[in-house]
Amino acid sequence: MKKIILISLILLVGCTKMEIEPTPPPTTQNIFNVKESRVIDGQDIYFQLPTAGVYTLTLIDKETGQVIGRERFTGKVGENIKKIYTNSIQSQYLYLLLEDVTKTEIGKTTIITK
Amino acid sequence: MKNLFVTLLFLLTSFLGFGQSVSAPDSKSFLPSTNGQDGSGFSLNGFSSTSTLLASISLINPLSGTTFYLNTTSGLTAASGFTLSGNKTRLVVTGTMADINTALASLKVNTGSIVGNVQLSVAATVNPIGYFYNGVNGHFYKPISTGATYTNARAASLLTTFKGQQGYLVTITSASEDQFIFNNVPQSNIWFALTDEVEEARWTIDAGPEKGTLIKINNGQLNGNIPGQYNNWAGGEPNNSGNEDYAVTKWSGGSQWNDLPNHFSCAYVIEYGTWTNPDDATFTEFYTNSVTHSNGDVLRASFNIDFGSNVDETKFTAKGYTYTNNNWNVVNGTARQLSGLGKVDLTSLLDTARVSNGVRATTTTGGVEWCVIYDYDATNQRYRVGIDSREVNGIVSNPSMISSLQLFDLWNGPVTFNSYDSNGWTEVYIYTSTQFNFSGSSFASNIRSGNGFNALTAEFSFSPILAYKPHGIELTHSNQTELNTLYNSIVTVSDVFLAFKELADGGIFGNQSGMGLTNGIQYMNADVDGNGVFNENDTYKLLQHLTGVQSLSQSTTLTYLMKLYNKSDYDAITTSNWGTKFNSTRNLIPFTLGGLNNTYNINVTWLGDVNLSHSAQQSVSAIGTNSVRSMSLMTNSVSTEINASIVGEINNDKVIITILLDPLQQAVVGTQFQLNYDNTKLKFEKVDFVTNGNPMNYGTNKGTFINIGSLITGGNGVLDKTTEYKIVFTPISPITNILGLTSISTTDAVNKDGKQLKVKLN
Repeated sequence: MKKIILISLILLVGCTKMEIEPTPPPTTQNIFNVKESRVIDGQDIYFQLPTAGVYTLTLIDKETGQVIGRERFTGKVGENIKKIYTNSIQSQYLYLLLEDVTKTEIGKTTIITK
Repeated sequence: MKNLFVTLLFLLTSFLGFGQSVSAPDSKSFLPSTNGQDGSGFSLNGFSSTSTLLASISLINPLSGTTFYLNTTSGLTAASGFTLSGNKTRLVVTGTMADINTALASLKVNTGSIVGNVQLSVAATVNPIGYFYNGVNGHFYKPISTGATYTNARAASLLTTFKGQQGYLVTITSASEDQFIFNNVPQSNIWFALTDEVEEARWTIDAGPEKGTLIKINNGQLNGNIPGQYNNWAGGEPNNSGNEDYAVTKWSGGSQWNDLPNHFSCAYVIEYGTWTNPDDATFTEFYTNSVTHSNGDVLRASFNIDFGSNVDETKFTAKGYTYTNNNWNVVNGTARQLSGLGKVDLTSLLDTARVSNGVRATTTTGGVEWCVIYDYDATNQRYRVGIDSREVNGIVSNPSMISSLQLFDLWNGPVTFNSYDSNGWTEVYIYTSTQFNFSGSSFASNIRSGNGFNALTAEFSFSPILAYKPHGIELTHSNQTELNTLYNSIVTVSDVFLAFKELADGGIFGNQSGMGLTNGIQYMNADVDGNGVFNENDTYKLLQHLTGVQSLSQSTTLTYLMKLYNKSDYDAITTSNWGTKFNSTRNLIPFTLGGLNNTYNINVTWLGDVNLSHSAQQSVSAIGTNSVRSMSLMTNSVSTEINASIVGEINNDKVIITILLDPLQQAVVGTQFQLNYDNTKLKFEKVDFVTNGNPMNYGTNKGTFINIGSLITGGNGVLDKTTEYKIVFTPISPITNILGLTSISTTDAVNKDGKQLKVKLN
């Protein structure tokens, strides 16, 4: 009897489909493929790079044309994810500019921070 | 040649439309219950003469019976929902600047019997194609004819901006707004922001400033409609037939609403604007002005507050105060926000009660010489007047309150109390530079000239003088953090260098002009200890402030930073008299209510604003040799740029921000950068300086920003292209990148001549 129960249990477990919670796919729209985006502090932004190497992301105040911040980073080929922080930014409307090490523009979009 | 140049300049100005504005007339009083009174005085300025403009004319919160009309409407087209003729409380038109100005010059006001404010507002912009302006709420609307699901329409609306305002799926909160959409959008079944997706039959506004407002709690045309909220459902709707959670207006081409499921592809409208009063609009390139007249006898106080050109006036609010019992006491009421032109009306924040303000003595002829006027005191330019105290005793409880005197036809005006003797004379002084003509008086027979005096057979009567309490206007900034940033951009390295330059060139005692400062207000602002002398103590304090050793003021609140002056007093300040003038910070300035319509012009300047970059300019006529022209060239015009670059990266678990300077051809002696940082994620460590020229370098942590820069106050050194500032932070918790964690806002630089330079960050 014990064996029957054991075999039944094994069969039951073996036949039960493994319940894996589906994780929602990330929103991976390239930020430079849209004209403008509203962003909040700490939000992930996605973009594609043609090759691995050194790039810069630059924030430019749309009203004054002044650069207000720039991050230099080493990117990988394909999709890259970065966080954007907004608490220190006083401008509401900004350009986000992606350039390679030769200052060639890869992408440009408008972001709204407030 | 000159004519050609002027013509070209005119054409260029016309074409580009520089300096657009709406000007408004001065306040006036209308007669109650009178039609056709002159309401002209508004005009549009600076727009291209060929552009089609959109103009809105409106009465704000009009009194019952108060309307306006335009006598001339040639060339104008009424916007949707309006007609040109007839009496209005609001009218939106399109036309050229000339045609609109002609119409504004013909504006007439009709008044009702109710006494109160008559606020007229005019707004204008270049008429945008594809957008409709609703003059009732001052919002723009953009119809989107391409069909979309409700949720897509809602999301797409949020991604748009227009004239600086984020869009949102249109909300319909009034019959007039519903009608406006009906009139302007040709399609039927138009999504608007109303849903019961969260809970069936609980219809809630889904976007815009009213988002979250519940307007209906049951399905069915009238069931559960919440009083005070606008509902306009078609018969039997909403009915949730097939799980319908979203609302459309113009259902089936009619004027009412229905509920539909999300998958329907419908046209929609994007709305721009969050205010309810068109006068509060903050659209960019949208120009407004207003005037508050009165209908009948209304005590009014309006203010024109001049901040100069680099301060956002709308960040300030104003409150009314009265001075009673030796204290300033706030008048209850909601503080009023300043308009973008620095205007504010405190009519609703006045204490209209009148209080005793002295005693007035008046005379009639009598049979007893109760009064004596002693001979004129030419030295002090006054008469001493005695009133027999038997006339006063038992009638005037406090003779020292006598402040006004009518003395036959000799004098009728203010007096200054001198003394009281209950058994003798009550004496007052009459200050006048003109001596009385006793022999020529109509009352000469009641005047007896004695040896050193004139005696008057006069009977006295006394009455209290009633006056409004002394009032004050107090300004407040809406946000202390923003005020800190503003003040950091007011007192900069340029101000400090200018003060040093003046001191160095002006002699050791500071009593000669070094020509660095050309205006009395510059001296007052440079005299930061307020002792009436500008000297090395002041420059030392300015330097301490710049380098973060010690702030100029004991507190960062507005009252310790701002200086307020009546415009006439401000204009009278010169390089020679500034030391004798009031020179303290304050955010409250007194004013006296006179007649019914009171307008006050207030000028603003700031402690330490030596170059007057954020201060009102003096009027040309009042400053003589210290002309606005020289002041303007000295301070506000920036003719020269230098370059700087910024880059940040994570290096060995530190966040390092590097700023490099490129002075180009300039002999730069001072720099300043405000680097904001997110202090919840970064901890400031230090600034590493690479500088030539032997400057004083500073890198001060102000909590939410670092003030970084260099200043050379003597010698021949300059800041060259090798100048580098490395600001080092430690992340408070692990981070993978730094985009936006720091940002530059204020920048400043100054050259050897004291000229302020613009720093171009690239």
